Amino acid sequence: MSSALHPLERKILSALAPLGSAPFEALVAAASLNEDQVRRALQWLASKGLVSIGSSVESRLELVREPPELDLVRQVSQAPAPLTVGGLRGKFESPDEFSAAFGRARGSGWIRVEEGPAQVVRVADAAGIESLRSVVQSIASGKAEDDMTSEDAGIISDLLKRGLVRRVETRTTTVAITDKGRSSSSLAAAAGLIDRLTPDILASGTWRDRKLRPIDVEAKAPSFFPGRRHPVRDFIREVREVYLSMGFIELQGDSVHPAFWNFDALFIPQNHPGREMQDTFYLDGLSDTALKRSGVVAKVASVHEDGWKTGSRGWGYRWRIEEARRLVLRTHNTVLSVKALSETGERETRVFAVSKVYRNENLDYKHLAEFYQMDGIMVGAGLNVRHLMGFLTEFYKKLGMAGVKLWPTYFPYTEPSLQVVGYSKAFKSWIELGGSGVFRPEVTQPLGVRVPVLAWGPGIERLMLMRFGLEDMRALYGSDLSWLRNRGELAGS
Amino acid sequence: MPVVRLELSRFAEMVGAGKEKILDRLPYIGLDIEGTDSRSVRVEYSPNRPDLGTDYGIARALRGLLGKETGLPEFQTKPTGVAVTVDRRLAKVRPYIACCVATGLDLDDEDVRQIISLQEDLHNGLGRKRKAVAVGLHDLDRISPPLSYRAVPSTFEFIPLDGEKPSSIRSILSDSYEGRTYGHVFNRSKVFPVISDSKGTVLSFPPIINGNATKVTTRTRRMFVDVTSTSQKDGDDVLAILATTLSEAGGKLGTVAIKYPNKARVTPDLAPTALPFDLDLVRSVIGLDLSRREMLACLARSRMGVRGNMVLGPRYRIDLLHPVDVAEEVALGYGIERIKPVYPPSNTPGALNEFEKFLDSASTVMAGAGMIEMMTYELTDRGSLYDSFERSSSEKVTVQNPKSLDHSMLRDALLPSLLAALSGNVKSDYPQRVFEIGRVYTRALDGVKEFWHLGCLVAHSQASYTEAKMYLEAACRLLAGLEVVTKAAEHWAFSPGRCASVTAKEEGLGYIGELRPGTIDAFGVGVPVSGFEIDLSKLYELLK
Repeated sequence: MSSALHPLERKILSALAPLGSAPFEALVAAASLNEDQVRRALQWLASKGLVSIGSSVESRLELVREPPELDLVRQVSQAPAPLTVGGLRGKFESPDEFSAAFGRARGSGWIRVEEGPAQVVRVADAAGIESLRSVVQSIASGKAEDDMTSEDAGIISDLLKRGLVRRVETRTTTVAITDKGRSSSSLAAAAGLIDRLTPDILASGTWRDRKLRPIDVEAKAPSFFPGRRHPVRDFIREVREVYLSMGFIELQGDSVHPAFWNFDALFIPQNHPGREMQDTFYLDGLSDTALKRSGVVAKVASVHEDGWKTGSRGWGYRWRIEEARRLVLRTHNTVLSVKALSETGERETRVFAVSKVYRNENLDYKHLAEFYQMDGIMVGAGLNVRHLMGFLTEFYKKLGMAGVKLWPTYFPYTEPSLQVVGYSKAFKSWIELGGSGVFRPEVTQPLGVRVPVLAWGPGIERLMLMRFGLEDMRALYGSDLSWLRNRGELAGS
Repeated sequence: MPVVRLELSRFAEMVGAGKEKILDRLPYIGLDIEGTDSRSVRVEYSPNRPDLGTDYGIARALRGLLGKETGLPEFQTKPTGVAVTVDRRLAKVRPYIACCVATGLDLDDEDVRQIISLQEDLHNGLGRKRKAVAVGLHDLDRISPPLSYRAVPSTFEFIPLDGEKPSSIRSILSDSYEGRTYGHVFNRSKVFPVISDSKGTVLSFPPIINGNATKVTTRTRRMFVDVTSTSQKDGDDVLAILATTLSEAGGKLGTVAIKYPNKARVTPDLAPTALPFDLDLVRSVIGLDLSRREMLACLARSRMGVRGNMVLGPRYRIDLLHPVDVAEEVALGYGIERIKPVYPPSNTPGALNEFEKFLDSASTVMAGAGMIEMMTYELTDRGSLYDSFERSSSEKVTVQNPKSLDHSMLRDALLPSLLAALSGNVKSDYPQRVFEIGRVYTRALDGVKEFWHLGCLVAHSQASYTEAKMYLEAACRLLAGLEVVTKAAEHWAFSPGRCASVTAKEEGLGYIGELRPGTIDAFGVGVPVSGFEIDLSKLYELLK
């Protein structure tokens, strides 16, 4: 530890110096600090030998209750008319207490009962009771036990036994400044060092003649947690900036859609296992009754049934509007892409959205019921699979994942379909990062689009896990304050 | 996704290539390697390619890709004389049946395991959990043709697979695992389908369970396959996949005559699927200027053939719907990894969505004010959303059949999510100051309305209304240049007398206050909590 004194230590030394020694409470008052601060600083000072701390135990007597026989004798002596035993008993609340007091007063010879049927009570020995009375008074007034006579001591021990008096012990901590402490304190005072720079000191210019007191620069500062954005939000911002740099326009859209846009428009047949309730969140009792089998809806329906005019065989089943009307929490953001496509048509466009998708899953380390996808589409004559590969390679490179590979895969709405895989050092294997493909004619033609549409919809969580070195996706949304407060800012960038 | 286990030594022999080469190439026919050990590899295949559901099917595709055996596989069938008569009363129960025979088999344990695994995958995938299609495999040597596919009452009895004594249809449906799992396909039907032979031996009670008498073993040399379905096309697809797999396993295929009351047909029909060969379409999709000859070579490696201006795909390829599907086959045959990526430069500037920018700024402002951002789930449970606040609502937005009750309803406010988050952090240092920017939902006549809210909570021994208001005023000032007005109000989250409505330009934005002690207690948070929740969608409107 540095030899410099903590401000608390200095405050205490300067409060203690004029007193020499003082009880702890007095020191707390003199130093204008709270008890905790004084206690802590005294420990440091004592360990440096600047103060000595002593403690003593003081005992004093405390009157619990006046002996009832005193009251009884007082009643007898102060009664305006002679009291009988019966009259005296009536002055006490409890007959037991009266009996005990009466027996003790008569046994000690302080009172007597006159012969005769009236049983009048008289004071017999006024002086005899005086020694008890004076001991009780001394105790009540706080007189020290040491100042009492040996005769008193007998009476006190009797009262202690009867529980009418008790002995109270108080521990007093006394702090005394040592010579070493005095010199260190006077040195500091003599040097006229400044504890804390104040506006007054600055204004008056006295800082020119005085130095700042050295402080303990090694002492720990209190813990502090700055406000922070969520790491997922930061990552989303990064993704948005990458898209922006590649000429994409951002989309925003609702989470709830009719199954038509989430599934049918993407050529996902109505009996596809992915559409079942165990995978998809359907909203209870809600459906888009405005959806009618006309316009785009009618074309999509025909594509499912027999391929319509697209040259496809279709899925060969009877398409039902009721199934298409059910409201779902979007299971992928491709729903936003295809809706955008229905609006922009064949115009050359690049659009994207980073938003939540929902799956009816039990949560585990690699499954969430809500997570983010960063979908995009690119529309334009002359676009082909090579452009899709070129875009994805560049996109992932910009997100810090160089050297991705593209492997064939399957989605009902793209042909060809490619999945992006990236090498995970942690798992020592290729990890699937997201799907992509060229929209099938069955998807684009009902929307009036005959030019190629490249589409992709990767999740963000796997990339984030790789960056943060986490193994459990749930950690990202676990609201763990300790992680949110202490995670390294650059780990996620 | 369904999984196939490949025993590497067996598989390497089937393919005629080394282990390394095989592992390197598997992803390029669309298979995901799920796991490996020293002797085997487990691969996932897409549900649109059930022909890849056995090591035989995968080897067939891989031999093509490696150039070991290319072109359209040919499948010969011979009539067997076996016939199945279909009962007209099944038209409304399970109308279609398609069958085939495979002879000359010599199956080992692994062969049987592969075929059974394919059968299960077909039941779950194309079969839609046996509802649409179900498959039965039988030892033909234990069958006496002709067969009948007939309707029986629920009292009908036979010995089910692995059973010892006869059971009735009714007891199979109510007492067996298969009956309870798949029996619902019959809805309220009074009659049930069975396939039986001329001696009355029951082969199967589709789609529930086979009979015990015709069970397949490694000693089976001649196999009979039945496929029952609700649509003829689905049944034919499944039979084609099974028959061609048995052919790969060394079986010689034989046809079966199916006699419906009003028509007759012969199954299986393994004629190739034809698609128009649109060379320009293929070139434009994959971006390679390939000649017709080059394309033919690519298609041959994808096990396809060409006749005139038609591309022929083997019958087991049930995923060929449109001429564009030829493009992927050419690309795979060419080799995906040989295709050079081209980055398409942008001709137009990009743009961020203004509202998303606003939400992102809100996060920056609140974090700058010293708060920690939380991102919680929009789907929550009734307990923390309603019960803990002693409120109820007829406007709840609930989801059907959630797997977990923790995700059974869409939230209409952020404060419950944030308070639950605080409840999970009672061991962290106080003061705790948290916020969330998130989507909330309310029920509307025509469905659901979605809003973006900002919620904030301050929790520590001195937390007060005033502190919450400092953050509220800063947020509205910095985000929208608005001074908000707070007026005494009532709200389910906040203590009476310590609660206010928040308005700006006479528009209600939300509420602010000190949380009710009962609520704080219900969430197990031991310190005072104050906070606010406002509608950012509305604040954004006011800003514009």
